[in-house]
Formats: sequence, C-alpha cells, structure tokens
Amino acid sequence: MSVVKDNATAACGIVPASVQGEIERFLYLEARLLDEGDYDSWLVLLAPDIHYWMPIIENRMRGDPIGTYGPDRVAYFDDTLDDIKRRVARFQSRTAWAEDPATRHIHVISNIEVEAGEKPDEVVAHSIFINYRNRGERDEDILYGRRRDLIRRRSGSWLLARRRILIAQNVLLAKNINTFL
Amino acid sequence: MKALEQAKHRANGGRSQAAALYDDKNCSVDRRMFWDEEIYQEELDRIFHRCWLFVAHESQIQEPGQFVSTYMGEDNVLVVRQSDRSIRVLVNSCTHRGNRICHAELGTARNFVCNYHGWSFGLDGRLLGMHESEAFENTPNFEFKDFGLSTAARVSTYKGLVFATFDPSAPSLEEYLGDYTWYLDILLDNDDGGTEFLPGTIKSVFRCNWKLPSENSTGDALHAGWTHDSGVRAMLGTGVAPGFGTDSYQININGHGWQCNFDYPLGNAASFGDKRILSYLKERRDVVRRRLGALRVNMLAAVSSAGIFPNFSFLPGQSTFRVWHPRGVDEVEMHSWVLVNKNAPPEVKDAYRKGVMMTFSPSGVFEMDDGENFEFSTRTVRGAEGRRRPIYYGLSRGSKIKHNELPGNVYRGQINDANQRAYFRRWADFMSAETWSEVPDR
Repeated sequence: MSVVKDNATAACGIVPASVQGEIERFLYLEARLLDEGDYDSWLVLLAPDIHYWMPIIENRMRGDPIGTYGPDRVAYFDDTLDDIKRRVARFQSRTAWAEDPATRHIHVISNIEVEAGEKPDEVVAHSIFINYRNRGERDEDILYGRRRDLIRRRSGSWLLARRRILIAQNVLLAKNINTFL
Repeated sequence: MKALEQAKHRANGGRSQAAALYDDKNCSVDRRMFWDEEIYQEELDRIFHRCWLFVAHESQIQEPGQFVSTYMGEDNVLVVRQSDRSIRVLVNSCTHRGNRICHAELGTARNFVCNYHGWSFGLDGRLLGMHESEAFENTPNFEFKDFGLSTAARVSTYKGLVFATFDPSAPSLEEYLGDYTWYLDILLDNDDGGTEFLPGTIKSVFRCNWKLPSENSTGDALHAGWTHDSGVRAMLGTGVAPGFGTDSYQININGHGWQCNFDYPLGNAASFGDKRILSYLKERRDVVRRRLGALRVNMLAAVSSAGIFPNFSFLPGQSTFRVWHPRGVDEVEMHSWVLVNKNAPPEVKDAYRKGVMMTFSPSGVFEMDDGENFEFSTRTVRGAEGRRRPIYYGLSRGSKIKHNELPGNVYRGQINDANQRAYFRRWADFMSAETWSEVPDR
C-alpha cells in the first residue's frame, strides 16, 4: 500500500506488559459499553480533542500513486467530539425509529499491539475488530476492520485521542453504520 | 416469462401489461412493481436501456485516460476521458468471453486489458490486440473492428453532469430534461466557476426496490418531519414544526421532480449545523440573485428534495447527489457524492464534505432512519393478501396551479404526492411505449 497522509502518530518502541494489559482492558471496556449502547459512559473515554476517522476505501489499481484512502475524500466518520455527541444525541432520541427495537451489537476486539507514543503519556494501539449487528428478526450486518489508536493517560485514566478505522469493504454491504467502531 | 404471461403478452398485441400497475385515476400503485422479477427484467430493457442515465461529473475525469466505473442499470460501464477531451462510455465486458476488463473503480489508464486472454482495448473501446494475436489474425473472417467494446449510444453533458443512453433513438438530453434545466441551474450555475464533486464516492447497499428511494427524493416532503425527527433534533436541538410553512410547491417535468419551501430558504443547509455554510450562502445572496433571479435565490438551500427520472436524486442545500443502481428487484447499490462550487473557499468545501457525512451518509443522522423504511416497504408487500392491497399516492390531489414564474407542472403545497404520481405516470409511459416516439411529453 502506498504511503498516505492521515491522522497517524509515529510509534516509538515497546511498552511494559503492565501498560499492554491496561490498554487491552481499556479497549475491551470500550467495546462492551458500545455493545450495551451505554454511550454516556463511552463518551467519558474520549479525549476532548479526539479525531475519530473512518475513510472510505477506494478500489484502485496497486500501481495507482493516489492510494486507496486519504484525508480529503468523503468519509464514514471524520469527527470531532462535538460531531460524535450529535450522533449520540440521535441514538438516544426517542424518535430514532430505526433504533427501536434496539440493534443487538457485538464488538469483537483482537490482535491488540501496543507501542510507545511520541509523548511519554501516550501509546499507539493497533487492533482488529469484528462488528456484528443483528436487528429485528433476521437482519444481519458484519464489518471487519483494523484500527490504529492514539491513547493518552490523563490523571490515572486512559483516553482515546485519535482513531483511524480501515474496513475491508469497498461497497459498504449494509444500509448504514448505526454504531461506533 | 411463464407460459401464462406469454399468452397474455401475445393477447395484448405484444404490449407489456406492466403499465397497468399504476392507476392514475385512483392514484394507486400495484405492489407487484416492487417485488415481481419479470417486471424488473422489463424495467432493465424499457427504462434503463432507454433513458438518459447520470454516469459521472466531469470533474471526476479531467485528464485524458481518467475513468470512473459505474452502472447503467445492471451494466457496468467505464466513463472515460478521451485524448481529444470528449467523453465515451464503454461497457466493461470483454467482447471475447464477456469477462470484466477493468477492476478498478477509478484511475488513469492508457488502455484496458482483460485478465482472461489479454484482449486489449483503447480508451475509445477499439480492440487493439491480444495474447497470441497471430492465431486470431490467421483465423478466417476474424476482424479486429468487429470486436470493439459496446458503448453507450450517446453521451451528453449538462453543466458538468455527464449522462448517457444506450438507445440511439432517444431524444437529446436537453429534450429529456426539458424545462427541468431551469431548476438544475440553481445548483449547477449559481457561480461563474461551475461545480465539482469532492473526491470519493460513498457506496452502500439497501435491500429495497430501486423505485422507492427514487420516488422518495422526487417528492416525499411528508416523511421529512416524521422519519427524520431524531436527525433534526440531533443537528439543531429542536424538531420540525407540523405544517411545514405555507409557501411551498411541488413541480414536475417529464417525471423529474423538485419540491421546495420558500418559508425556510436556508432550511436544508441549516441541517448541517455549520455556521461556515450559512455565512457562505448569505454572503453570496446578491451574486446568486443577479445570476438566477429573486425566486431561485431562495431555492438554493431551501427545505427541498429533487430527482431526475429514473434513479438520480439530489438534495439542494445539503448538496448530495446520488444514484440508486438496481441490483435485482429487491436490492439497490447507492452511489453518492458531494457537489460544491469550484470557486468555494477550501474551508467551505470541507464543511460541505463533513455536513453531508453527518446527515446523508451511511453514518449520517438522517439517512440512518431512511433505509429501514425503504427495505420494509419492499419486503412486506409479497404476501398473497398484502399484494392485493394497492399503495396510496393520492395526497393533495387537485392542487395543481398556474404559476407565472415556476416552469413545469406546479402544485401548491409541499406535503403532496404530486411528484410521486408524476414519477409513476412516467414509469408507466416507458413500460407501455414500444418506441421513444410513443413516450409523451409530460
């Protein structure tokens, strides 16, 4: 894959096993809160300056220098904290008809690798996810993807400060993405 | 076709029965048109193989060799900028064994080479050569010129939008659009520099019949205040007042529709909740008024929606354009883009990019409530009892008016099924006409 500009932060070597464990617990907690639709608790895990980005993936030839994704193209998410809060406001609205009855979500998180970040209180975490959604009687959507996060320690807690989500699908094989990944 | 259907078809002098599925007198639609596979196959021939279909914006293919891959009905086509800067539309299927030739959705090419036997085609679709070409050259009666790619019969542009048709007897694009261009100009010609699509196409799948989202965009203002209440509240902090104002209209021309509201001239743009866009629109009001007149300046970003027959939809103000490509009778692949003025400041373009993403995209707070309605309006109409019940499109019958400035068929009141009736009337026109000469002006 060609090199592209994005919201990356360079990774700078390994972290102690204890930090690896803390980050794994952080990511599993986050996944469970999203499964439960507990968005208020989930928002507490986000840094005020978060950039939450899920670009579209273009189906280009390998030799195409432009690359399969990039920051100037349309995206599924390219959010600040305020944008995310607006999405949460809809999920929590009583008139979000397409969320009632609720979608059943399973966020499976795996392949977690944690590296030291550029700053002493930051780490870069790589992970993959399977997002399984089931709605109503037999509606089913599955997304697989890879994430790279910048996670920051603030007063003893970890906060998600950057997330880049790359899914494997070109055509989104679903009508919507009614969750966070 | 089943034997019984074939017999009926012959009894009807070879004419399609499908047109009867729209009952203009009772303003009702037979649910069969949303689930019947035979009707769908007829649609591919009678609608998608005849109509002018949107295939690209010129900004997507600026340099010779640049191409985008898209669909005309279920035919995958390549829209290619030629070395003389004209545009050709090639069917992306090898003339040898039928294989797909180009597997990228966009890019720049010198030629297109099939992976199967190395057949190579020029940007204009001509067969240039192949693997083991000598064997073909020595084959009696084999002529390279007989094996060029199939192409659209005609390609034409209107102010940046590229359309194509497979039917050589189709009228010109200008005739096809008719006076609808007066409305299109609001979005395409409100600035000297013209328009462009921002980079990137969102593609997603709806398990619904293609006509449901298409007719929705052309006239269903009714659903906005109800279906999208949660989206409006998320973006603006308040819901939509019932009644929707009084100075509102539906307009249709040849099955193309536009519905809008003059009480809220910035209503659609306001749904982005982004001050940069509202300031941009306010700053440009005088320029746009001089260009388009006092009426149209208030239609640029009003509470509105629009569609070009058969499956090209857009939302003025929210500036998203989309095509509902059919994928069988009960599935749609939606492709959508963001349209901006080329000369708009970069921060305004980015605000549109983000605004569309927040509202009308798969993660958008509006679009998320649309999909399930389209899907279940398709799925629940198949039962033996359900299919007997026609669908009602009679809202605000008798609201047609004469208007001194708005061209086309004008109806008072946005809360109206007038444009959807016109859409299905047009559908019936194409399904019953054997040739283009039988398709009336509407």
